Amino acid sequence: MRGMLSLAVITFKEGIRNRSLFGIALLALFLFGLNITVAGFFMRDIGKVTVDINLSALNFAGLLLIFFVGINLMAKDIDRKTIHLVLSKPLSRSQYICGKYFGIQFFITASLMLLMVFSCLTVALLLQLYPNYFDGFSWGIFFVATFFIFVKLWLLSAVVIFFSSLTSSSLITLIFSLATYVAGVTIEEVVFYLKTELAAQERIISESLKSFIEVISWVVPNFAAFDFTMEAAHGLAINTDRLMVSFGYGVLYSAILLLLASLIFSRREFN
Amino acid sequence: MLEICFSNISKAYDPGLFKKKVQAVSNLSFDVRQGEVFGLIGPNGAGKSTTIRMLLGLIRPDSGSILFRGRPLRETPIHRDIGYLPENPYLYDHLNLLELLTFCGRTSGLDAKAIFERGQGLMTKLNLLNAQKRPLRTFSKGMLQRAGICFALLHNPSIVVLDEPMSGLDPIGRKMVFDLVMELKGEGKTIFFCSHILNDVERLSDRIGLINRGRLVRLFEGTDFSRNDDKTVVLRISELDATQRHELQMMGGRLRQEGVELLLAVPEGSYYPINRYLEKQEIAVLGGRSEWVSLEEMFMGIVKEEAA
Repeated sequence: MRGMLSLAVITFKEGIRNRSLFGIALLALFLFGLNITVAGFFMRDIGKVTVDINLSALNFAGLLLIFFVGINLMAKDIDRKTIHLVLSKPLSRSQYICGKYFGIQFFITASLMLLMVFSCLTVALLLQLYPNYFDGFSWGIFFVATFFIFVKLWLLSAVVIFFSSLTSSSLITLIFSLATYVAGVTIEEVVFYLKTELAAQERIISESLKSFIEVISWVVPNFAAFDFTMEAAHGLAINTDRLMVSFGYGVLYSAILLLLASLIFSRREFN
Repeated sequence: MLEICFSNISKAYDPGLFKKKVQAVSNLSFDVRQGEVFGLIGPNGAGKSTTIRMLLGLIRPDSGSILFRGRPLRETPIHRDIGYLPENPYLYDHLNLLELLTFCGRTSGLDAKAIFERGQGLMTKLNLLNAQKRPLRTFSKGMLQRAGICFALLHNPSIVVLDEPMSGLDPIGRKMVFDLVMELKGEGKTIFFCSHILNDVERLSDRIGLINRGRLVRLFEGTDFSRNDDKTVVLRISELDATQRHELQMMGGRLRQEGVELLLAVPEGSYYPINRYLEKQEIAVLGGRSEWVSLEEMFMGIVKEEAA
């Protein structure tokens, strides 16, 4: 446990001191600034656009953090053989996997918390400037939507750990993780479309393709389940059951991925 | 007592699809005794690093067994007893040495006080004290190597496994590491290391294993190789019986048969008694040799012979 926490701490430090972090933070701050500048152009939709841009900027910054910094925090250990040194200490391979995961999770959470402060300031400023155009806006729903961005990124971190445990190259991990993310975000809509009458008229969509996509939809994590942007932007109430199911789904899926990663990693050889 | 025993271990790597397996280690057997310095030498690709990685559990042998203090490796938690320095240690770029050592100490179960004391001591010995708060990415290759040695030794392991410890070090760095290894040996630690710098291996080791193409070609005992002592006189002498051999060795002489020649290396402190003994026993001195054949010459000879 002590070893795992120590590994999480150095993983966090290694991530938080990475210079790419400043670039990503600047990009997010630029998006918040842009939001303030252009908010006036959207007339009655200022509130919706503000919430939408802020949540999207947070989400985008989180993705960049994972794909540009997070992936390297584990994959580079294997790439550069730093893992030889780490595993020569009394640290089991499962502890290594969990330590790396929690380190990446701390890093993503801390970085996004900082950006969230700026995001809240942006929203608060626009709320002050255009109070009449924020009908139905609720800080509570805004924070729920933000929290689920965190949950989504934690799950994506588990995906990164899973692929890092399989491959020896950070580039391959990046490609697989990115593909999983894109599939995970869109698969729900694809499955939904396949069930419509319009899709039934399409001759090109065979039954076997439908079955294949159905299977994929069960295997690939459904990242759309964590998207509460629309509810936050329009001030719609969120069902508690949906919150619980989404959160439980994220935690369970992450746990399964980490378990699989531990199993694969414990059998792996490091030449 | 045997610390580590490699028994008929073999390992082949799969280089990829449609490619033939590469036999890295083949039926390798040797042991490392408690308190000794065991040097493993061999050309590039001979299987030295593979052997070390198998010992650390980073890779598994295809066949054979590795015993650690008489027990199979898989059943024994060895990592608390072993300190390992890999060849070219890649450390975390954005951490400083103090943080790296704290991580090392905490995973090894040391408390903060012990980490501080051991860390300061090692950093002082390896001249890294002034660089302890600098990010590791700013370290030179030699400094990284020394930082890796601190990482390996922080938890005071009883067995030290070093893969090319002198690699990338300048003469001052090499001297520091040399002195440190001698100090560790003095403390009774077992040291298992591999290196290409044969001069260092020769000076440090009690026994040396030469591996080539994954096989142990020869095991040199202490008397087989010189200690790089410039004041040693090497004589060609006539045949000896077993008693004479034993008595000459007891007086500090080292014997080696090279083809038809029997060589006797006489260290500086043994000139007089050995000379008296040779006279008394009427052992003919056939001539002198300017130097004892070095480990490097033996190494080259054996490797060329193997290649032929």
